This record gives sequence, C-alpha cells and structure tokens, in this order.
Amino acid sequence: MSAGIPTDHYEPKTSAERWIDRRLPIVRLLVDFVTLPTPRNLNWWWIWGIVLTFCLVLQLATGIVLAMHYTPHVDLAFGSVEHIMRNVNGGYFLRYLHANGASLFFLAVYIHIFRGLYYGSYKAPREITWIVGMLIYIAMMATAFMGYVLPWGQMSFWGATVITGLFGAIPGVGPAIQTWLLGGPAVDNATLNRFFSLHYLVPFVIAALVVVHFWAFHTTGNNNPTGIEVRRTSKEEAKRDTLPFWPYFVVKDLVGLAIVLVIFFAVVGFMPNYLGHPDNYVEANPLVTPAHIVPEWYFLPFYAILRAFTADVWLVMAVNWITFGIVDAKFFGVIAMFGAIIVMALVPWLDTSRVRSGRYRPQFKWWFWLLAVDFVVLTWAGAMPAEGIYPYIALAGAAYWFAYFLVILPLLGVIERPLPIPNTIEEDFDAHYGRATHPAE
Amino acid sequence: MSLRNVTLTAVAALSLGMAANAQSTTTVTVPLNEPGTQAPVPTGPGTTVTRLPDGSSTVETTGAAPAAPAPAAPAATAAPVAAEPAPVTAEPEPQTAAEVTAQAADTATPATTEEPAAEEAAAEAPAEEPAAEAPAEEAPAEEAAADEAPADEAPAEEAAEAEPAAEDEAVEEAPAEEAAADEEAAQDEATEDEAPAEAVEDEAAAEDLTEDVAVAEDSTEEDAPQIDEAAEATEAATHDQVIHDVSFSFEGPFGTYDQLQLQRGLQVYTEVCAGCHGMKQVPLRTLSDPNGPQLPEDQMRAYAGELSIFDPELDDERPREPTDMFPTIEGEGMGPDLSLMAKARAGFHGPYGTGINQLFHGIGGPEYIYSILTGYTGEEMEQAGTVLYENTAFPGGWISMAPPLSDDQVTYEDGSPTDLNSMAQDISAFLMWTAEPKMMERKQSGLVAVLFLIVLTVLLYLTNKRLWWPIKHRDEVAGSDR
Repeated sequence: MSAGIPTDHYEPKTSAERWIDRRLPIVRLLVDFVTLPTPRNLNWWWIWGIVLTFCLVLQLATGIVLAMHYTPHVDLAFGSVEHIMRNVNGGYFLRYLHANGASLFFLAVYIHIFRGLYYGSYKAPREITWIVGMLIYIAMMATAFMGYVLPWGQMSFWGATVITGLFGAIPGVGPAIQTWLLGGPAVDNATLNRFFSLHYLVPFVIAALVVVHFWAFHTTGNNNPTGIEVRRTSKEEAKRDTLPFWPYFVVKDLVGLAIVLVIFFAVVGFMPNYLGHPDNYVEANPLVTPAHIVPEWYFLPFYAILRAFTADVWLVMAVNWITFGIVDAKFFGVIAMFGAIIVMALVPWLDTSRVRSGRYRPQFKWWFWLLAVDFVVLTWAGAMPAEGIYPYIALAGAAYWFAYFLVILPLLGVIERPLPIPNTIEEDFDAHYGRATHPAE
Repeated sequence: MSLRNVTLTAVAALSLGMAANAQSTTTVTVPLNEPGTQAPVPTGPGTTVTRLPDGSSTVETTGAAPAAPAPAAPAATAAPVAAEPAPVTAEPEPQTAAEVTAQAADTATPATTEEPAAEEAAAEAPAEEPAAEAPAEEAPAEEAAADEAPADEAPAEEAAEAEPAAEDEAVEEAPAEEAAADEEAAQDEATEDEAPAEAVEDEAAAEDLTEDVAVAEDSTEEDAPQIDEAAEATEAATHDQVIHDVSFSFEGPFGTYDQLQLQRGLQVYTEVCAGCHGMKQVPLRTLSDPNGPQLPEDQMRAYAGELSIFDPELDDERPREPTDMFPTIEGEGMGPDLSLMAKARAGFHGPYGTGINQLFHGIGGPEYIYSILTGYTGEEMEQAGTVLYENTAFPGGWISMAPPLSDDQVTYEDGSPTDLNSMAQDISAFLMWTAEPKMMERKQSGLVAVLFLIVLTVLLYLTNKRLWWPIKHRDEVAGSDR
C-alpha cells in the first residue's frame, strides 16, 4: 500500500499471526481496511456510505430468504408473494423490509451522489471511484427495476412493458433487442424467469463493484468538506489531518445509521405501502392497461426527462431533421434519459474548476442547490400526467440538468473567483473545534 | 444526565410502549356454543372456552343453568332474514355458515381499549345479558343506547366519524347522510381536495397513457382496444369522485382490528359479497388466527366445510379444509377477487398528494370500499346491454355492480346496527384484514424496532460524543497529541 496515506500498518504480534500472515495476509487486509486514516473533518453528509453498505447487506439477506419462498412463474408469482405475506413466518416483515429497503437504498445513493457533486469528490484523483460509483448506481437501477417486476402485479407487468419498450425505440436493431431482452414478443413467463435470475445475480455484481469502489477510495483517501488532500509528507503530519476509521468514524456513522433506521422501521412498521402503488396488488393482466403507469419514485426524475422531449420540442424537430428521421421523438427521449446519467458520470472531466469543494465556490453553490431543487422538481413532474403544464416543467428541468453539466460547470471553473482555502485539514478542523493558536479562517 | 439515567429512561419508555401494545391482546371470552342456536358442531351446552392472552385456552363446564336456554327464537328469525337477500350461488351455503359467524360475533366480548365508538357500546350491551335473549328483545333499546352514545361523544369525536346512530331512520337517511358527508368533507381538507383532484387525474390518465405509448413504447400500441376500454371508463368522469374518510379502529401506528367488527364483516361477506366475489388468496384457517376475526377453531372448520372445492385427485367436489383458500369466483358477470382489494385501491393520497395521511388514516382502501358501498345515487343507465349504476365513489361515476347492500340486509346476532352505513364499515374493515392479515403483528414489530433503535441511537450518540471529546477539545486535554 505504498500509494496510501502514510500510517502505521498491521504488525503480526504472535507467532500464530505471523504464520498466517506469511501465507494469507487476510488479517493485515482487514486491519488496514478498518484503520484507514480518514480526514478528521468529515461532516454528517459522509454517513451515507455506511447506510448504503447496510442497505446492500439488508437487501441481500432479506432477498435470499424471500427467494426461498417465491415462485417465478406467471401463474404462481402473485400467489407466492401472498404466500410470503400470509404463511411464511415473519414473511410480511421481510417483504416490506425488502421493498422499502430498495427505497432507502435509492434515497441514500441520491444523497451520497449529491454530496459528491457538492464537495467535488469526483475530481482527480478520484475519477475512478466516481465512475465505479456510477456503475453501481446503474446496476442498482437494473436490479430495482427487475425486482419490481417479480410480484407480477399490474404495475410490474406494465412497468416492464414500458421500460423494455425503451430499447425497442432504438432505430433498426431496437425491436430485435427488445425481443431478446424479453425472451419473446411480449412480457411473459420467459421475461419473469430471466428477471428473477438477473435480480438474484446483479446484486452480487454490485457487491463486487462496491469492493472496487472501496479499494479506489482507500487508495486515494476520502475526500472531505474542504476538498484539500491529507498531507502525505510524513506519518506525523498525516496523523494530524486524520483519525483512524475505527473507532472514530465507525461509531459516528453508526449514529447516523441508527437515526436513519428509526425512520426506516417506522415506515416499514406503520406505513409499508406508502411508497408502493395500489395497482401492484392487482395481479398482472395483459388485457387490462392501468389508467396511469408510473415507475417507482426513484426512477421518476429520469422518467420525467424521458417524457419531456416530445415531438413538438424544436430541438427534437431539429435532430429529427438532421438525422433524416432516424432519431424520432421517442428515441430522442431514450437518448436524453440515458444521457442524463452519462453526463453525470462524465462530470470529472466537465468540471473545470481547480477548487474541489463547493464550500469555497460562491457561485457554484447557487447552481448546485438549483440542481438539487431541479432533481426534486423532476421527481415530482415524473409522477404527474404528461399533459397541461407538467411537460413544460419537465422540459425546463431536463434542460437545466444538461445545462448544469455541459455548460455551467465548464464555464464556472473559468469565470468564478473561489474563496480562500485553508492550508490543511487540521487547520479547518481546529477552526471548528478548539485551538486558539489556529483561529478560524 | 448521566449515561445510566439515560439508559434507564429509555428502557422505561420501551417497556411502557410494550405494555401499551400488550393491551390490545387482552382476554377474549368466546363461548363455543350457545344453547338455542343451531351450531353445526355441537359441543356440550354451557361449555366455554376462555382464550388467554398467550393464545392457550381453558375449557370449563358451567352447566346448563346460567346459560339461560331461551327458545331458539332469535336464531330462527335470524336465519331466514339472513338467507333471503343473499345472492344465489352455487358454492357457499350462506345460511349455516353465516350462523357460525353470527354466533361468534354474538358471544365474544371485546376487551380492546382503543375504541370507545358507538358500535362498541352497542356490542357490549348484549354480552352482559343472557346472550341468547339479547338480539330479539334488546334490539330497539340497544339501538337507543347506540343513539345516545355517539350523541354524547359527538363533540369529542371527530366529525369524520360516521355515527351508526344517525342512520337509524333507514329510509330518510340518504339526504341526511349526504349532508353529513358534505360537512365531513368540508372539514377534512384532504378528502375534499383529493377527491376532485383524483377525478381529474383519472380523466387525464387515459390521455397520459396514450402519451406514454407515443413516447415510450411499441407494444401497448397493439393493445389499443384495451386502452380504449380504459379511456371509456374514465371518459364518463364528469363528476367528482367522493371518498369518505372513515375513522377505522385499525388506523394509525397503534390502530388494531376490532375482532367483533371483523366477524360482522365476515358475515356480510358470506351472506352478500360471496355470491360474486372470491377471495382466493385468503386461507380459511386464518379466520382463527390471532389478531383476526378469531373464530373458534371448530367454527372455522365448520365454516370451511360448508364450502366445497373440486379435488382433481378425487375427481369430485369435497368440503374445504382449513388449509384451503376461500373460493375462487371468476367468470361472466362475477366481480373481482376481494382478497387484496383494500390495498389495491387508493382512497386518498393527501394531504396535497404526499400520501403522508397513510401514517394516521390508513391507506384509504377501506374508505374506498365503504364509499363505493354507500355511494349509490339510485340512478341507472343502460350501456351496450349492461346496466350501469351511478356511484359517487367509482372512477367515472358508473359502476356495473348493482347496489349490493341495503339496510337490514343481514342480521347480526349481537344486535349491532344493520343499517347500510354500519354494514359497509364492517365489510370494509373485514376486507382490510383479508388484505393485510398481519397488520397488528407488523405494527408491533415496527414499534419494538423503533423503540430499540431509539435507545440504540441515544447510546451511540453518547458513545460518539465521549469518543470525540478529547479530539474536539485538544487544547483542554493536557499532553494530548491527537
């Protein structure tokens, strides 16, 4: 670990430990992992990593048990979920934990992502951490989408029909891809089976990506609210900027996790269907289309972007004309939806500012918070019917989303005059807590 | 405050919460058999089973004397009345099955503490009398009692609480109820705001859908006829969808099912709904589950035995076992399955579409069912050979189900009011239970989890504070190098 922050590493003390360490340095790996030098000035926005880790473990644990009682067959799936709710010991709680756990997972990941966007956690040298994080996020979306199909309710079925229809919008090969994804001409038993298989598989891919994510930021060290790097010139100086992850940040993160879980368990215990859709308690019926197809709340911002670009938008018309009609409104919407995630993934190279943390960027702050509001507005617009004023709101929201990443961030780095930045993390920390010898600022 | 004191306080709060929770499962006495009624599985007269809170039961023989063997009059009159309006079906034999439940409803005494509602007062009254006599003789007096109870409580109670007493004048009730409902709606911002909004939403939905199809996907385009069907249903939405907020006993984080109400609801289902609606997801044995209607096991078995099922191994019909489900009823002219209906319909999404109402007012499904059952205006129209009935709660305003319930359609043996309003509430509560049979267990688990996590949070917070203190106060800690 030569690349890491200078620190005391694990020393095997007994002969047994030395014996193991020479053959499989697993204890060394674990000890070094949990004693990672962590910037001592991390604030409460840094707790969401542990919430996310908890969510992954929760979803795996509950999901594996649920899979023992679930039957992936179009005639039996709905009934098997009811079997879990009525006959399996504690099944009702497991299922509600799993369903609401997905929501907590996404809530946490959105806060985690926006924390990274504010404090510039994506900037060099943490681009790979960021990209891997985005891959995790995409894998999460795939998993959640496929998981929502499994209960085989009306929203499951029609949600699957709509979302796989997105791939059908790709010119030329689209319909073939859609058929390949579904395993047939329409959502049916083959679809349900492969979705169940993949819903079981992808979480382990996520777990692997999470390990890579950890590995990457353990190499670069955590970012922190100042965006300044930990001093690596000597072990002594590094020590003054950091504290070991265990016990300081483990305990702090657990406080945050416990508070989050109080709310989470209140939702699971007292209003577990709050975030669900009533139609999903109606068994899937290919002959009856629900009046109002909406995806789960965590897809709504991107769903709003998908629907925002209708054929009457001049940009869509222009692109349509330039591409000789290959890119129609439908395909444009699909491109926009995936594009919204891609521009976010490319942000390390779109943000030109040399100052990492938004804390010292007076103009950036405003644009950032506008983006956060934009995200909420898009979520809301995505839940609304696509008529009246809502498409315009969604269009404005989508436009700002792209403008932020493609125009504002590149320009802002050039024109903005950042505020003075503290010299060290220690200085920042002491400005908040203590030493009179280092007054604030 | 020291750490120990904090811990102590937290643990005290925890045990208080658990104690409060335990109250909801206090003793319920269920006499198995009443002399004078025709129980399908007779046990000795005067045998009572006392259900203890821990789920075990003790059987004691009290002899015939105290049970006051009145002539079979109440039961005998109850039976024909009950049988008469029940829709004719092949499957269940409503008469006897109804009796089983009616009997159970009659004799069980609730000890739930949370609901001082009028029905409860009414329900308790006969239980103190020699049980068998009560229904016939006491009924009017009792209704008067029921009248008084809400009258006293009315100021204290929420206006939204639909008083069963108000509906005693069966015929004239409709306008009065409407007025009350309007008042109620005016008071309840959420309901008022939501109802029109929802109608608009539904109306919009059809177009929204076509929008979806246009933008997003291919395959629904092939389903155009179905979409038209959906559009047709919503097209007629020229009026506001009215959902009444009913204060059910099971709402809110501490809400519990009212066992007697569930039993009455089961009776309504059996005598009225079962003709056209199945409940294929609900195992019959769960009728005896704790926190449900809690039918004594032999009554549950008798109830199941009244229903037949086709057994492919026997190649013949056989009586249902407790492990079988309620019947599946499908086909031309039959209604949708009711197992999950209370969760499959959103009554309201308020306030302001956030849905936070769920926390204190439940998910609104039972309210939707109640509003459908009480929402008929009496108007009919014929469309494409089907008679449609105007209903203020149904999206689109016209429903193909004929008004299923009318005043005094069933006779409760405990003498509970049998006006439309009360019966609609009973069946709605029962369907909430069929949709969410583990609700009480879930809330209890949730409460325990929340309380433990609060304790954990406090302890972790104090630990964290202590842990970081020397770090954050380096200048005060002599010789610290941190």
